[in-house]
Amino acid sequence: MNRRGFIRSSAWLAAGSALSGAVARSLGATVNLPFENGERELIAYPQKRPLLRLTARPVQLETPFSVFNEGVITPNDAFFVRYHLADHPTKVDPDTFRLRVRGKVATPLELSLDELKRLAPPVDLVAVNQCSGNSRGHFTPRVNGGQLSHGAMGNARWTGVPLKAVLEKAGVAKEAKQVSFDGLDKGVLDTTPDYLKALDIDHALDGEVMLAWGMNGADLPMLNGYPLRLVVPGYYGTYWVKHVYDINVLDSIFTGFWMASAYRTPDTPGHAIAPGTAPKKTEPIQRFTVRSFITSLNEGSTVPLGRDTVVRGIAFDSGQGIREVAFSSDGGRSWRIADLGQDMGRYSFREWRIAFKPAQRGAHTLMARALNRLGESQPLEPLWNPAGYLRNVVEPIHVEAV
Amino acid sequence: MSFRSCIITTLALGAAATALAKPVEITLPPDPTRLAESSLPGYNQATTFCYTCHSADYAKMQPTSSRTYWQATVTKMQKVFGAPIPDDAVAPIVDYLVKTYGSERAAPTSRGDMTPAKSPTKSGEGKR
Repeated sequence: MNRRGFIRSSAWLAAGSALSGAVARSLGATVNLPFENGERELIAYPQKRPLLRLTARPVQLETPFSVFNEGVITPNDAFFVRYHLADHPTKVDPDTFRLRVRGKVATPLELSLDELKRLAPPVDLVAVNQCSGNSRGHFTPRVNGGQLSHGAMGNARWTGVPLKAVLEKAGVAKEAKQVSFDGLDKGVLDTTPDYLKALDIDHALDGEVMLAWGMNGADLPMLNGYPLRLVVPGYYGTYWVKHVYDINVLDSIFTGFWMASAYRTPDTPGHAIAPGTAPKKTEPIQRFTVRSFITSLNEGSTVPLGRDTVVRGIAFDSGQGIREVAFSSDGGRSWRIADLGQDMGRYSFREWRIAFKPAQRGAHTLMARALNRLGESQPLEPLWNPAGYLRNVVEPIHVEAV
Repeated sequence: MSFRSCIITTLALGAAATALAKPVEITLPPDPTRLAESSLPGYNQATTFCYTCHSADYAKMQPTSSRTYWQATVTKMQKVFGAPIPDDAVAPIVDYLVKTYGSERAAPTSRGDMTPAKSPTKSGEGKR
């Protein structure tokens, strides 16, 4: 290695050592995520604090990982943004906005926001929204797509009405099979497939799927779907259609591009296949996998030798609820059970804490591993799929006792 | 609370809600991203057709990727996303992308505004 190369590598390692499993110290207005082409600018968009810009048009913003150590609820101004198509709305008049319900229903509806808010008693639910491709940048071998670290997730208190109440008001026909949802966002060209998603009718009527206008006690930020979005607890964000204005009850399986071709996972156990291969058969992506993160320490953090450090983090799953979080400070050779924080509902981030007292000077590999009430957990070796979805491997970090 | 005052309160809240309902509008910052300048013939076509629908960071953020990937991606833009890319422009655009951002790129020093790959090579990287 020549001297210049060496300096470059050292600079990288120095930057890398400051990275959390996810992110990153910021150098001025940029953050270096720990993978190739991982430099991101920190930009404050309207109604947002500075976030990592993944793409400028359409807007895609990732939450800096340090936010997840500020509290179990992700503030609206720090919540990630993910659009697919660049013609997404920047102006909405809540007085003229209408939600249509049509298709295989007894009575098609056209509801103003006020009418929707009065249609049924409002419900509140704390739920994680997570992008299907959260953490895609950490896949090995690498996969193409949005190169995200771990910040395309967030946990909010959503306020709205159950979708079930709206569908029952319209009267769902017996032959209904699926319900499709369209938002105000669309492609620049008419030839681009519009972003529509569909749910099975039983799922749409489960009473938990929600049409939400409120997020952490405020209106939805524009970039998170103002004035109305679908909340699909436990399911990946692809289904949480933003700016939703059209609900169509179908007597067939929806065949739009974003269901039939995109957001699909291998139809195999764990939705995994051998790295670098192609799946034989796929199905629409569904529920979250079980995940946990250490949030109070980052890759390269120092901790005091011989003294207790409280290590803190978060865990979540698809809605079974977190039963326990195990913690290892020796690279997975031994595990201890962490204390769980307040239970804010089975779809929420669950905080956990544990004391860590390093007896030896030097490097320690810390890991967290969550278990849900079904007995599902996290693998120690990553699973792989070609789209870079569902990542939930245990994410170790390395700290230094001094 | 009497029935009447309850109604008045409800009406007042309704009126307040209506009065507060103003259009919500945001102004997005401009898209500052640009594809790396190049003398390759596909550069101008790439700027024309890629920018129509998305910013340049879609290409820049990808891990080092093969010609097969870029060929499939440009074809997907044309056939699936409906980009009006003429058939005879596909090959030069692919050539520009793979030589500027992909596995056939020149040494870092000759790549215009491209920054060198920063991450240490992990197993699997560079195999694509």
